Amino acid sequence: MRSGQQTADQQTAGPAVWFGMAGLLILVAVPIAFVILQAVFPELGRGSFARPFGQVAAVLGDPALLRLTRNTLLLGVCVVALAAIIAVPLGFLRALYAVPLAPLWDVLFLVPFMVPPYIATLGWIMTLQPRGYLAQLTSLHAGPFLFSFAGLVFVMALNLFPAIYFAVSRTAVAIGSRYADVGRVCGAGPWTAFRRITLPLATPALVASALLVFALTIEEYGTPAALGRQSGYLVLVTAIETRTADWPVDLPGAAILSLILVLLSVGAFALQLKILAGRSFETTGGKPQAFVPAPLGAMALPVLIGFTLIALLATGVPLFAILATALSRTISGGLSPGNLGFENFEALLSLESGGLRALGNSLALGLATALLTGFIGAMVAYAVVKTRFRGKAVFDALSMLPNALPGVVVAVGLILAWNRPLPLSPYNTPFILLLAYSCILLPYPIRYANAALRQINDNLEAAARVSGASSLTSLRRIVLPLIWPSLLSAMLLVFAVASRELVASVLVAPVGMMTVATFIWRQFEQGSIGLGMAMSTIALIVTLSVPLAITALTRGMGGIAR
Amino acid sequence: MRRTIAVAALAASLAFSGAARADITVYSAGPANLIEALASGFTKSTGIKANVFQGTTGQVMGRIEAEASNPVVDVLISASWDTATDFDKRGWLVAYESPNAKTVPDAYKTRTAVAQGISALAIAWNPKSGTPKPAEWTDLAKADYKDLVVLPDPTQSGASFELVAAEQARNGWKLFEDLKANGAVIGGANAAALNPVLQGAKAAVFGGVDYLAFAAAKKGESLEVIFPASGTIVAPRPMMILNWSKQQDDARKFIDYVLSDEGQAAVAKVFLIPARTDIAAGRPLIKDIKVITIDAAAVYPKRDETLARFAKTFGH
Repeated sequence: MRSGQQTADQQTAGPAVWFGMAGLLILVAVPIAFVILQAVFPELGRGSFARPFGQVAAVLGDPALLRLTRNTLLLGVCVVALAAIIAVPLGFLRALYAVPLAPLWDVLFLVPFMVPPYIATLGWIMTLQPRGYLAQLTSLHAGPFLFSFAGLVFVMALNLFPAIYFAVSRTAVAIGSRYADVGRVCGAGPWTAFRRITLPLATPALVASALLVFALTIEEYGTPAALGRQSGYLVLVTAIETRTADWPVDLPGAAILSLILVLLSVGAFALQLKILAGRSFETTGGKPQAFVPAPLGAMALPVLIGFTLIALLATGVPLFAILATALSRTISGGLSPGNLGFENFEALLSLESGGLRALGNSLALGLATALLTGFIGAMVAYAVVKTRFRGKAVFDALSMLPNALPGVVVAVGLILAWNRPLPLSPYNTPFILLLAYSCILLPYPIRYANAALRQINDNLEAAARVSGASSLTSLRRIVLPLIWPSLLSAMLLVFAVASRELVASVLVAPVGMMTVATFIWRQFEQGSIGLGMAMSTIALIVTLSVPLAITALTRGMGGIAR
Repeated sequence: MRRTIAVAALAASLAFSGAARADITVYSAGPANLIEALASGFTKSTGIKANVFQGTTGQVMGRIEAEASNPVVDVLISASWDTATDFDKRGWLVAYESPNAKTVPDAYKTRTAVAQGISALAIAWNPKSGTPKPAEWTDLAKADYKDLVVLPDPTQSGASFELVAAEQARNGWKLFEDLKANGAVIGGANAAALNPVLQGAKAAVFGGVDYLAFAAAKKGESLEVIFPASGTIVAPRPMMILNWSKQQDDARKFIDYVLSDEGQAAVAKVFLIPARTDIAAGRPLIKDIKVITIDAAAVYPKRDETLARFAKTFGH
């Protein structure tokens, strides 16, 4: 059996490994290489390799650096902790018990993930600051809380907890109650069975999603910039942004700080491997079994209240603020009937504002990014899971690195790499945005496809090969259909995130081209918040309805986010 | 598979050739609707296409810096005069005096740069805030404005930095210490600082750019723009032609167009002060505002030090 499998591997390895390798090299290795080169050679932008390491000592010797790094770490850890406190109980309840209105909570918890963080934060500010929407409705406000470290953690955790919620609830469903039931039969109480059996089995998903939240927290710019600056809480990303946006621009400094950020993420990744090392979590060795969630009984009402409360906070508040602002004629007019109207939407739909063109651009780019990352992600995951070749570990690590890179750094790397007198350069064409989004989002499809591939027994492919199928045919007819639900989930997520990506878009968008995010950002910068929020509303409706429609069409093939 | 690749390659080459057909490329900080109006007016009157990249001064500069080995920008419009001085020193600019620049005051043009328009810093005050109408910068450090004042971040706004430097040169750090003691906060770049004043969380912006506030007031927001009698900073927005431009003739035509009657009317329409003194505008002009001039040669070399002291004052 062993040798037969090896033969299959060697024959199927070819195309998948080559496509995956080429994709990783172009999308990920090239921009990261240029960021590292920029950190080492400060004059790289002018095509010179003068003064190597000229800037490193100055940046690393800055006494503020230690504080920025500590602030970044503390923020990451606190956001992960609060997100886990919110998401872990909800996730297990959703998976193991018959929670009333379960599909509704899934959709509602998807929303915070789809609302761009800078918009959600602006929504929180407009709701909680003195004379904000909350004060207009109840005369209470929470300004001092919001503009503090606690407020920063609160807002970011509410934006990011869905990552843990979906990971935990989907894994817990997969584990099912079989193992816990065995524990119960052997005499364990329900709490002991959960603590000793279900919780440990869910560890990989929990740890992986906590790592994702950590990485997303330390590379997020909008929220720390909006809330942290006022309270004097500065992090690495705000310092990186200052170095790229404050003349004279300090790209080497930005690159060095980015590499520190990457090290933090790699550290977290190593910690994850250490936590999981040497344990087996395999649960899908046999036939799938029907899984009936347990009734909640007397706990139904408290559980329902808990879900409602979190949905109101994480989804209700930002959505309300976005819609209220979009429908307000003036901000100073407040929430009064006379101040409400559709003027902002009318202005948005008028051809002059370019809003529709921006929406079209973003949707096309989101779709292209989803297809490209889906394809390359599947190939990379296949190469990593199902084949053996030299340098596989490097390949694997490379595929996770973009998670730790702030968008602004990817953008700088792409400009340095591609803005050269080449016969065919993607620079200053929409393709540079496709490259930027694909680099940033490639880890999602790789992660999802990787998880799905690990559940497929190699014998299936071997059987196809024995029956005369070529390697590509078995890939296309056996492997792809089996991982398709997971891959589709990842691609929908990529579509949603790509169609609103801000930071890289601002820097690399070709001249004359606008996307949803740059349009919104521009409106905010020009003081037209209402118009920006109207655009956010429409973009949200579109990006949320596309995944929901696709999921409805492919019902039974998997959830939207796992 | 092969056909798909061929189609993709064809589509790619079409897209690339499309991008190469641009006539001139303008990078502009400042109002998006202004640069769009100028670009389309320019094309209408000359037949030359102008491709535009618009962002904050920082975003525009970051892009130019990253593109340094293969620059594409022909005309640069910055929101900070400092850019014009710095780029001239680096030898990146082409000397040009537009025939339309005759009535632009000497203070707002050099051999290599000329103002597109000018903005001034002001107190932007919300009359619905329940505070007395301020008249002077120092009013905002009074008890009436406790916890109700927001300052744009001088690291993000060139004009704010100049206001800080000018005030510091005149009276030291006292006013900023008083503001901090009175609960004033730093609120991001210009528009971000204006937002809490519109909603009423804050009563006034200390030194916000005036054209954003005028535009908001025009839209019906409860907002007044006040120029203190003791003086304020104005920020001329320099236009420059880069020496690596391969379309310098067309770039000159673009500068001429922005300084034409039509171009300056577009500048006035977004509530900037036109660079030409013979153009009317529905807002106070330079002659109506007391302008504090700063000694740029003395102030800018100390920029980092000044910003660090400012940040420390506000507890950052």
